[in-house]
Amino acid sequence: MHISEGVLSPAVLGGGAALAAVGTAIGLKKLDYEAIPRVAILSAAFFVATLIHVPLGPVAEHLVLNGLMGLLLGWLAVPAILIALFLQALLFQFGGLTVLGVNTVTMAAPAVICFYVFRPLLRRGGVLGMAAAFACGATAIMLSGVLVAAALLFTGQGFLQVAELVLVAHIPVMIIEGIITLFVFLFLEKVRPEMLEGIYA
Amino acid sequence: MPELFFRTRMLTALGVQGLLALLVLCVLAAPAQAHRVLVFAYAEGDTIFTESKFIPNDPVRQGKIEVLDAKTGQTLLTGTTNDQGKFSFKIPDQAIAQKMDLKIVVEAAMGHRGEWLLKAANYLTGAHTAGIPAAGPAATPAPSATAAPAAAPAATAGTINQQGLEAALNKVLERQLGPINEKLTDLTIHRTTLPDILGGIGYILGLFGVAAYFLSKRQKNT
Repeated sequence: MHISEGVLSPAVLGGGAALAAVGTAIGLKKLDYEAIPRVAILSAAFFVATLIHVPLGPVAEHLVLNGLMGLLLGWLAVPAILIALFLQALLFQFGGLTVLGVNTVTMAAPAVICFYVFRPLLRRGGVLGMAAAFACGATAIMLSGVLVAAALLFTGQGFLQVAELVLVAHIPVMIIEGIITLFVFLFLEKVRPEMLEGIYA
Repeated sequence: MPELFFRTRMLTALGVQGLLALLVLCVLAAPAQAHRVLVFAYAEGDTIFTESKFIPNDPVRQGKIEVLDAKTGQTLLTGTTNDQGKFSFKIPDQAIAQKMDLKIVVEAAMGHRGEWLLKAANYLTGAHTAGIPAAGPAATPAPSATAAPAAAPAATAGTINQQGLEAALNKVLERQLGPINEKLTDLTIHRTTLPDILGGIGYILGLFGVAAYFLSKRQKNT
């Protein structure tokens, strides 16, 4: 999911950076004292999940967890993802500083979108809520794939071709993330409902 | 109610342990690797061999290779990697003539990209002995030629031998140093290790600690 440095055109890089800045500003504005531990934990989880590759069939893929972050954090997912990506770029040359904005947008925008799309269903709970939690995790990955393809569109690589490649490679990840999001949602609903306050607020 | 309380506690314990176990399993199973693309190149004779892979060890299949002049950024040639992630090309005459440092770029699908800089000094030795045989040792037979005219045929034979020797030596050295070169390249890759990851988590928690500190001050003031 991380786009490397030197692939994208300056216009895309600039646009990505601007969008990421706006999203981060909104996220930081909503960040209050109580939310900080939640954001920190999920930022750390994202940092680890996107580094560790799990061999799945022919390719090794890593989890992204952006659906889960959206579900728990809403707009706060943007600064959480930005910080984790920034550290990855700095410590591991993973992604890169110039593509930081674009990478943040491709992973954080789906989180925010899924938060708003699935929130009404998640609130209802029950089977509908469970389905929504699964869909939230899976859809976020799919949207990320589409955004990666869109960013690469301007480099001359065909949109459909790249999108297909990214999506096919991430089908197992979509399913796994859906399941993880579902279980974390059920678990928190029972044990720590206050962590889900973003949904009910 | 006590039943519910018990269930909740058990769930918490199971969840925390499960999460820990999952993390440990992940870290142990796959020596944590980012999806980084590595390309490296070495010369053998007048040919440059490149190998591209996703770290740690997946070849980049059908990746686009571009060979550029490192100074001007001018594209010298392009190609596609095979199923082993390999691509080789004959050193362009232009590059030899201008002693260009070559920048080799591989572009894999989904926006992954890697670079390698091949210094001119690293490929010119082989190119010289193979391409322009008379260039190097031309000066060496001079002293022996002045000694006696009769020695001249012997001297030219000597230079041929010398050239042949040099080429042979180069070949043997390349063969012997190849694995060492590969090993060195391998060592220069920064692999993500567990301490790196723990350090990153520490940074994140620290940063949010700083944020919490400032927010708590603000709350006290108001």
